[in-house]
Amino acid sequence: MKKRLSDIFCVFEIHLARLRAEAGPFLMAAIVFPIGMYLFASGIAANHREAADNTDKLRFLAASIAFSLSATAIGWTGYLLLENRFTNRLKLFATLPVAASSYVFGILIFAAAQSAIGTTVLLIIARILGVQPSFGGAVGYLLLALIILLSLLSLCGISVIIAARVRSFSAGSLMTDALGAGMILFAPVYYPAETLPFALRSVSRLLPTTYIASAVNKILSGNDGIGIEVLILSAMAVITLSAGFWQMNWREN
Amino acid sequence: MSQSKTSNTIAVRVSNLVKHYQNGTQANRDINFTASSGEAIAILGPNGAGKTTFLRQITTELKPTGGTIEIFGIDAIANPVAAKQLMGITPQEAGVFETLSVRQHLELFGKLKGLKKVEARMQTGELLDALELTEQANKPVGALSGGQRRRILIGLALLGRPPLLILDEPTTGLDPASRRSVWKLLQKVIKTGTTVIFSTHYLEEAEHLSQRISFINAGKIIADGSLSELRARFPQRYKISFLAGDANFTHLNAPSVEYFDSFSEAQDYVAEQNVSEYQISAASLEDVYFSLVGEHLNGNGDGGNALKK
Repeated sequence: MKKRLSDIFCVFEIHLARLRAEAGPFLMAAIVFPIGMYLFASGIAANHREAADNTDKLRFLAASIAFSLSATAIGWTGYLLLENRFTNRLKLFATLPVAASSYVFGILIFAAAQSAIGTTVLLIIARILGVQPSFGGAVGYLLLALIILLSLLSLCGISVIIAARVRSFSAGSLMTDALGAGMILFAPVYYPAETLPFALRSVSRLLPTTYIASAVNKILSGNDGIGIEVLILSAMAVITLSAGFWQMNWREN
Repeated sequence: MSQSKTSNTIAVRVSNLVKHYQNGTQANRDINFTASSGEAIAILGPNGAGKTTFLRQITTELKPTGGTIEIFGIDAIANPVAAKQLMGITPQEAGVFETLSVRQHLELFGKLKGLKKVEARMQTGELLDALELTEQANKPVGALSGGQRRRILIGLALLGRPPLLILDEPTTGLDPASRRSVWKLLQKVIKTGTTVIFSTHYLEEAEHLSQRISFINAGKIIADGSLSELRARFPQRYKISFLAGDANFTHLNAPSVEYFDSFSEAQDYVAEQNVSEYQISAASLEDVYFSLVGEHLNGNGDGGNALKK
């Protein structure tokens, strides 16, 4: 158990050391694009009324946090997993006495650290932009941390599956980019669910981002009734991570 | 140092190893192979012979279709992580983290091998010296040459001082100076009693580093033994390499090669054929190699006949 924890931390450390030299893509995925989307959505809302009210702003902030989590967990983490596989860096880990699950958990912790940074920065920027979340205290932060964790587990499982299954780096990269953004665009996070066509509404119910945005919005609004979202995200995390671990095998056939 | 980790005198025991790929390729066919502790063994064979498939099954990267593999008595198929704890592995193609320094690579991967932070730091210092990379220790790996990167990969395999080292074509693509540098390092490792199994296309490398050579062709081990044992299987002990043709030959002509049982027979041939530019030498590992894989240096393809059964 001690060795396993140490392995997980080492994988995290290796990727953290790497991030120090390559922070650009992370900042773009986790902060710049989500802030851009927040401003865009606020601008559109303001166009219809005099100004977007705080309820709208909180919804857009929650959506942007979901976007940041999706971009970090699927776009950026998926890219790292793909890069490790297709540049043969994965062989460095696969030829060591390290379990494949330790490698995946190390990457998950790395994604969690990035998401925590991304979410914190977004909250700070939102405050500067005049958004006033109604949450506070330890419970609010704990619930937010729980949702971030469940989001990552459910979204990173998808990255692991893609990275393990695709046949080329370009195909995988395109897929993670498209899913990272698509998970947001096809989920009712920046707009109400009622505006979606009926068929897409059903699809959106299968997307983790729908529940992530809903949970974050409730937390930011001071409502801690997020039991359903926690339950659904937990189930999604179990399903996607189990599938990811099943696909991720050091030993080829 | 490495022997303390295991008292088993058989480092690797492979029995009836079979590997069929899903596309139908039979890459390894009923291979039996044993490496004693402290042996240095070269695996030779043409491209596609099954060398890498063989080594990747030993390193647990590839699942065998049939057969058993034991590493110091541990079933490597059932317990890959336990088996890998006794191995240092340099895969044929492995990437490095371009933005991490040489030191970061060695220290972080040392910890993944189970070394404590202090130990990892200490071994990193030793390895930087041994790898002749002390000056580059803090440079990002992306700034280093191919030879230096290859040395880092070998260094990663040496971390933790494993009793068994498996290297898949450790010097492929390196310039002669870098190759010599890797040889020097491996010779030091071999002297410590570490069991080393490596594949190579360089016959000189096999002669230089190994005590035993295994030839793989078409997925099977077709010959195995020390250099002298293999040479003894090649009955014609001398060869003449000469430039054939008329007086207008150029040095671009491939040399013709003839084999003889004795030096005097070779000399007689020179006199009879009136060959002016020639070299008489002892038959080499290269001759054994071409003989085994059924191809002579001059490409007449009948080399297999020269072998003693």
